[in-house]
Amino acid sequence: MATESNVGGSILKAQPVKHRPRVEDFKSTFKLFIKNRLAFVGFVIVLIYFTITILDYVYPSYLGVKDINTIASWVPQLSSGVPSGPTLSHGWWYIFGETLYFAPIFPVMLAALKTDITYSILIVLTGALIGIILGTMSGYFGKLYDEVLMRVTDIFFSVPTLVLAIAVTVVLGKSLQNVVIALIIIWWPIYARLTRGVSLSIKSNKFIEAATAAGSSGLRNVFVHILPNVLSVVFVQFSLDLGSIIQLFAALDFIGFNEGSPLLPELGNMLTWGTSYLVSGIWWPIVIPGIFLLIFTVAINLMGDGLRDVLDPKLRR
Amino acid sequence: MELRYFILRRLLLLIPTVLGLSIFMFILIEAVPKAILVTPYINPHSRIPYIIQEANALKILGFNYPPPIAYLFYLDRLLHGNLGLMSMPGYPNSVAAAIVDAFPNTIQLTIFASLLSIAIAIPLGTYIGARPNSIADQAGRVFSLTGYAIPAFWLALMLQIVFGKNILLGNPLGVLPFSGSFSASAIPNPTPSWFVNGITYPTHLVIFDALIHGDFPLFVDALKHIILPVLTLTYGILAGILRFMRAGMVDASNQEYVKTARSKGVPEKLVIKRHIRKNAMIPTITVMGLLVAGLLGGVVLVEYVFAYPGMGYLTTQGILSYQIWLVIGTTLIFGLILVLTNLIVDVVYALTDPRIRY
Repeated sequence: MATESNVGGSILKAQPVKHRPRVEDFKSTFKLFIKNRLAFVGFVIVLIYFTITILDYVYPSYLGVKDINTIASWVPQLSSGVPSGPTLSHGWWYIFGETLYFAPIFPVMLAALKTDITYSILIVLTGALIGIILGTMSGYFGKLYDEVLMRVTDIFFSVPTLVLAIAVTVVLGKSLQNVVIALIIIWWPIYARLTRGVSLSIKSNKFIEAATAAGSSGLRNVFVHILPNVLSVVFVQFSLDLGSIIQLFAALDFIGFNEGSPLLPELGNMLTWGTSYLVSGIWWPIVIPGIFLLIFTVAINLMGDGLRDVLDPKLRR
Repeated sequence: MELRYFILRRLLLLIPTVLGLSIFMFILIEAVPKAILVTPYINPHSRIPYIIQEANALKILGFNYPPPIAYLFYLDRLLHGNLGLMSMPGYPNSVAAAIVDAFPNTIQLTIFASLLSIAIAIPLGTYIGARPNSIADQAGRVFSLTGYAIPAFWLALMLQIVFGKNILLGNPLGVLPFSGSFSASAIPNPTPSWFVNGITYPTHLVIFDALIHGDFPLFVDALKHIILPVLTLTYGILAGILRFMRAGMVDASNQEYVKTARSKGVPEKLVIKRHIRKNAMIPTITVMGLLVAGLLGGVVLVEYVFAYPGMGYLTTQGILSYQIWLVIGTTLIFGLILVLTNLIVDVVYALTDPRIRY
C-alpha cells in the first residue's frame, strides 16, 4: 500500500521518484536480519575476522614484522627452554604465550587468518561457481546432460568428504596449494545438486515461458533469468560452507599436508606445533588457536542460520 | 511397490554406484606418476635390475595397456580382494591385509559413537522439542551449534588435555589414557597365543578378544582407551541428530492428529511418546546417512589424534610415507561403508514410513 500511495503522490507532483525494488528488498531483508540478535553478533564477529585478513594484506607491518608468512619473523624474544605461558608483562604480543621456536601466539594467530580465510573463500567461491553453472544448466536442460551430471555427483557423495580430500591431495602431491585444488574438486557437487533442484522448480514458471516466447535462447534463459533466482539459496549455503571449509582446511594441514610450509602461520599448522608440547603439559599453543578458530566457525554458523531464516521465503513473511 | 521389490531395486542401484566409485579411484591412480605406483612392487635387494622389475610391475598392473584396459585389470584385482601393495615398517605388505587388521577398530568406534549419540539425542530431542523456546531449548541450540562448529581434531586434543593421564600436573580429571587401543603394560606376561604383533585374535578388537579369553584387566584397559575417541566422535553427530529431532518434534506437534489425540483426552506423556515422537523420527532417519558421512570423516581425525589403530590412522600413516595404494584402498573401503550405510538407511526409512516406496 505504501508504495502505491508514493507512486500516486509522485504523479501529482509530477516528480520522478526512484523506485528501486532490489535495494528496498535488500534494506528490509537487512532489517529483519539484524533483529535476530545472535545472527547479528555472528555477523559482526565474521566482519572483524575479515577486517583482520584485509589488514594482513594492505598493511602487514601492523604486526611489527617484515614478513608475516613465516614464524621465523617472530623469532626468540624471551627464550627459556620451553615456550612460556600467557603473560601480561611483555606487551600485547605475548598475552597468549609462546609456541614453536618461542614465536608469540597472538600475532602469529592474527597472521594465520590471511592463509585460512583467503584459501577458504577461494575454495568455496570457485567450487560454488563451477557447481552453480553446471547445476543450473543441468536443471534447465535436463535429459542426458542431467542424468550424467547427477551420476557423477552421486560418486562424489559416496565417499566421506575428508577421506576424499585426503585421497585427491595425496594424488596431486602433498602441499597446501594442492589441498586447495583438491577441496575445489570435491566441493562443486554440493552446489550442483543444490542449484539443480532450484533451477528445476524455477524452469516451470511463466516468466521463463514468456522469455522463451520473446526469443530468449536456452543459455540466455539459464544465465539471465534463472541464475539470479538461484543465488539467494546459494548465499546461505556459501556462508555455512565457509565454516566447514576452514575446519577441513585446518584439519588437512594438521594431519600432514603442511610439508612444503611447516612454518607458515596457519591455524592447523599452529595446532600441529602445539601437539609436540602436549605431553609436557603445555596447553596454550593448542587451546588458544583452537578457540580462535572455534569463535569464527560458531559466528559463521550463527550468521548462516540467521541468513537462512531471513532469505527463506517460506519462513519469512 | 512391495517392500522386497523396493529393496531389490535399491540393491541393483548399488552396482552402478560401486562401479562409478571404482572408476573414480582408478582415475585418481592414473593421475599419479607410474614410478611412484610401482615402488612397493620393486625389491631393492633383488639382483634383477630396476628397469626390468619396473617393466614387470607395470605389466602385472596392466599399465602397459591403454587406460580403459588398465581399468579392467584394476577391477579384476579389486574383485579378487587385491588392493595393491605398500611398504611401511610394522605393517603387512598387502594393503588388503593391513585394512583387515584395522577395519574392526574403525567400525567399533563408529558403532559405539552412533549408539551413544542416538541413545542421548532421541530422549534429549524429545524433551527439548516438546518445550520449544524454553531455557532447555536455548541450551540445546547452543549445544548443537557448537557441535557443528567445533573442529573434531581440536576437540580430541582438548579432551586429551583435560582427561589425559599425566598431561597437566595435579589435574584431578586426568585419569584416562589418550593414545593407542591398549597399554603395553596391560598385556599379560607371557604373551598369550591370541596376541600376535600387537593384534588380537579372532576379532582384532582388544575389548572383545580380552573378554572372549577371560582377560579382565586387559578388557578394562582397552575400555578406558576407547572412551575419549568415542566421546569426541559422539559430540559431532549428537549435535546433528538433536537438531533434526527437535525440528521434527516441533513440526509433528502442530499436526491435526496431535490436536485430536489431546482433545479426546490422551495423557500428555502418551501424546508425546506415541503421536509426536514417532513422527519426529522419520526426518531424523533421513539425515542419518549424511551424519554417517560426517562420522567417517571425523573418525580419520580422531584416530589420528588418539593414535587409535583403525583405518583412519592407517590412512594418515600412508600420507606421511606416500603410500598411494594404501590411501586409495582405504578411500575405496570408506566409500563402500558409506554406500552400504545409505542402503541400510533407505531400507529402514521404507520400513518405518510405509508411504515411502519409490
